[in-house]
Amino acid sequence: MIKTLLHLGSLLAAAAVFLSAPGVMLAANVAFAGEHHLITLKASALPSGQLAYEMVSHKIRSADGKEREVTGKYAQGPTIPGPTLVLTEGDDAEVTLEHGFADSPQPVSIHVHGVHYKIDSDGTMKLLNGVADEAAFPGKPYTYKWTAAPGTAGTWAYHDHTFGNPMLGAEDKGLFGMLIVNPASGKVPALIDGKVVDVDLSEIKREFILWMHETTFWGQELNHIVEGDKEVPLWSNPMLGARLGEKVRFHVIGLGTAFHTFHLHGHRWIESGGTNVVDTVNISPISRIAFVVKAGEGVGPGDWHYHCHVIQHMQSGMMADFKVVE
Amino acid sequence: MNRASILTLAVATASWLAPLAANAKEGAAPEDVIISRPGVLPSAVLEMTDEPGKWFKDPKSGGSLVVIKPGEAALIKMTDTNTDHTITSLIWQPGAAKFPVDQEKPSNASVTQTFDKPGLYVFTCKVHPYMFGAVVVDDPATEGLDLGGEIQLVTGAKVPTTSDIAKKLLRTFFVATTPTLWRDYGKPSWEVKLPDLAVNLGGAVIKLSALNLSAPNALLQPKTPGVGEVWVNTQFEGVSGKTKFGTATQIDASNWTIKQKVKGVEQNMNNPHNMWTDAAYKYIYQTEWFDKRLTTFDRVTGKVYNTQIVGQNPSHAMSNPLNAMLYVAINGEDRVLKLSPGEYPTAMGSINVGPHSGPHGHHITDDGKYMVTPNALASSVSVVDLATEKMTEIRTGGVIPIAAWSDMNHKAYVANLLGTPPKLLSSLTVIDMDAKKKVADIDIAADYDPISGAHKGEAYGLLPIQTPVSPDGKYVVTANTLSATVTVLDTKTHKVVKSLPCEPGCHGVNFGLKKGGGYYAYVASKFANDLVVIDMDKLEVAGRVLLADPKDGLITAHNGMGGQGVLPLPLAEPGMLAPTLKLAGSGKLSAEVEGWLKLVTKEQRGD
Repeated sequence: MIKTLLHLGSLLAAAAVFLSAPGVMLAANVAFAGEHHLITLKASALPSGQLAYEMVSHKIRSADGKEREVTGKYAQGPTIPGPTLVLTEGDDAEVTLEHGFADSPQPVSIHVHGVHYKIDSDGTMKLLNGVADEAAFPGKPYTYKWTAAPGTAGTWAYHDHTFGNPMLGAEDKGLFGMLIVNPASGKVPALIDGKVVDVDLSEIKREFILWMHETTFWGQELNHIVEGDKEVPLWSNPMLGARLGEKVRFHVIGLGTAFHTFHLHGHRWIESGGTNVVDTVNISPISRIAFVVKAGEGVGPGDWHYHCHVIQHMQSGMMADFKVVE
Repeated sequence: MNRASILTLAVATASWLAPLAANAKEGAAPEDVIISRPGVLPSAVLEMTDEPGKWFKDPKSGGSLVVIKPGEAALIKMTDTNTDHTITSLIWQPGAAKFPVDQEKPSNASVTQTFDKPGLYVFTCKVHPYMFGAVVVDDPATEGLDLGGEIQLVTGAKVPTTSDIAKKLLRTFFVATTPTLWRDYGKPSWEVKLPDLAVNLGGAVIKLSALNLSAPNALLQPKTPGVGEVWVNTQFEGVSGKTKFGTATQIDASNWTIKQKVKGVEQNMNNPHNMWTDAAYKYIYQTEWFDKRLTTFDRVTGKVYNTQIVGQNPSHAMSNPLNAMLYVAINGEDRVLKLSPGEYPTAMGSINVGPHSGPHGHHITDDGKYMVTPNALASSVSVVDLATEKMTEIRTGGVIPIAAWSDMNHKAYVANLLGTPPKLLSSLTVIDMDAKKKVADIDIAADYDPISGAHKGEAYGLLPIQTPVSPDGKYVVTANTLSATVTVLDTKTHKVVKSLPCEPGCHGVNFGLKKGGGYYAYVASKFANDLVVIDMDKLEVAGRVLLADPKDGLITAHNGMGGQGVLPLPLAEPGMLAPTLKLAGSGKLSAEVEGWLKLVTKEQRGD
């Protein structure tokens, strides 16, 4: 009897999915003009001894088979955070990781959050995944396959899960980066001029990536004004800059052990998936927010401070400015 | 239409951005479009760890010293340690911008520091003030590695780098952070050999090897046996099967041999620092100083009964002889935790000893009336009336008050690791516990000239740590880590009457009973593997007992090294011994302990 009920339940659920499907299918059809990304990253060390990922090459093959090279938009050499990878719902990616440590045979990996992948692309050791050591060894790169399936839009982390410790990896030594999956709709909700509206991604001039690690922000700008885009490493506690009225998107994410409260002076935004207006959000390890603001909206130009609002972190200098110029 | 062209179109429609868009289209340099400005990219990293000698570890070299250029930055972070620390300047260049660095409270916060002025900078942790990491800011245009002409010490003193005190600090830095330079009594001599590297002391170029030294190693069996046993925390020993370091070494005082080393493999016991026991001498309460735990093990078998989280950096443990309650100083916080005794100590409450205090080596008067805490982070001492738990914090001005001990007249002696500015390089503060006030600061390096290094008299104790009062109340015996000396102070005159040779990293002292009467002071040192035995009747070194056990196959590194907490049993202070004597013949003591008590003389009983 229970079995029958369950069976009936799942039938009803299936029907519900089917009934709600047309809209989704439509969106998916558009998105499935999806592009195929061929990305090669390398894990290596900075002169300081910090570990980091660097971009080796990024090619995009569109649905019509045409291939273009976008490697030039990335910074050269290893950076913290690592290269920000941008996909759109419906895209897929083959990400090959090379082992670039001259003095260590330790396996290094990429474990990605958010997107779909098979167990052999988990980026962990066999000890954890039961299948294989999914990591790059010296002279032996490893390739991961990701699908930015419908429903995976968002800001996600990728990080090492194996180096130096097969259970933990070395993400807190600098092996972390961001994956942005843009929605197939091309629009994100935002609080603009006091109203929640859908902002077209093409209107966003700059994206600021901020990792909150221990008592440091590690930053990067993804600039869409430069022809072909430009990714700019900004290192620790950088000054972010935009022109008054530009729509800019922040991606803020945590890492490590500490819990943070991200606060930006003079600006407000809506909480992910809602209409609640905030100017401070909790950021715990690998939890994140992405939000759009109109630079200086209602408050004008200025050096608008951004910082972690945990007092001890402020005392340790976890702060910088968001400079809004005319 | 690709994304870039959509963007260009969108930008072009916004008239106020038109000039910029035009630039972008014409392939203008990104610098014109990008308003953001990068923050600091560190040129070097020091990662703080629990690993002996590698407390500030360069991920590239594995060493504790990094070299950068003027204008560059170093990142100091705490990703490989189980507990909180501070990042604090110990030595820096006079006039350097943004110095000194000092994190007020222990935490896991990192520091990214830019250095403008060439020279030597040494960092430490105020909770664990022998964790050392150095940044040398080297101007490539000068000859040799720039250490600077002068160094500024956290004590307020500014000294030339050619001075004796600067050289001592520099040599100590290299010895502390290089385990191969520790004094190993398994070898015939101690050789401190530094590379022939040219170093520039503000114009004077010397070889680092000028700091080399050599000394013969000779163990010495004390002629008169001690009573009972001596526990020493060999805090730096590497042990097979665990990732953290340290053991508790049990020495039989009747024949000076090692009975066992308690390793805590299953618990991954981490930097065991100081011990206490119960009245029946059944348990050893063990603090784990680079961790958050208190471990209880069986004194005889070494079996671990219990490991529990008690707080950040538990340092010392001691009982109240009146009610057997155990008091554990929580060095990384502001409190002393009170626990019930036994196999499974249970927290009964916390005594706050003042904001941002960081109590380290506390002491309880042997009548059980007071507890005194040296507040390492607060330049203060707190006196707690244990019956009411009323606390009085007394400002002393001492820098890193690290250990305290009180006599039977309620007078407490507090060692200030870095002295009492502006005058005293090395000091003991005397506290009247009844009056709750500071009585005096005693200069225990009064006979030392920090520039020339001459020390003509006995007052030659630099960087004092443990400082117990002898059970007969006559002397204060202080372990001095920088001068590698033990100073003996007369409690009546407040004068240092004797300075005896110790070992590099001289640290822990406690008293045990000498067979036939009198006392031994047992002294343990961090960077050596012997226990110095001092005869308190003669005020001379009676023995040097090996703490290494070459036959113990489970010791993988630093055999016998890291001597810190010392716990001789039976306890020598008459008031502390009394609860055990009361149990004699009751059947609650083991035959072994009953045997020890039979050897206690009338004077040692305090009758």
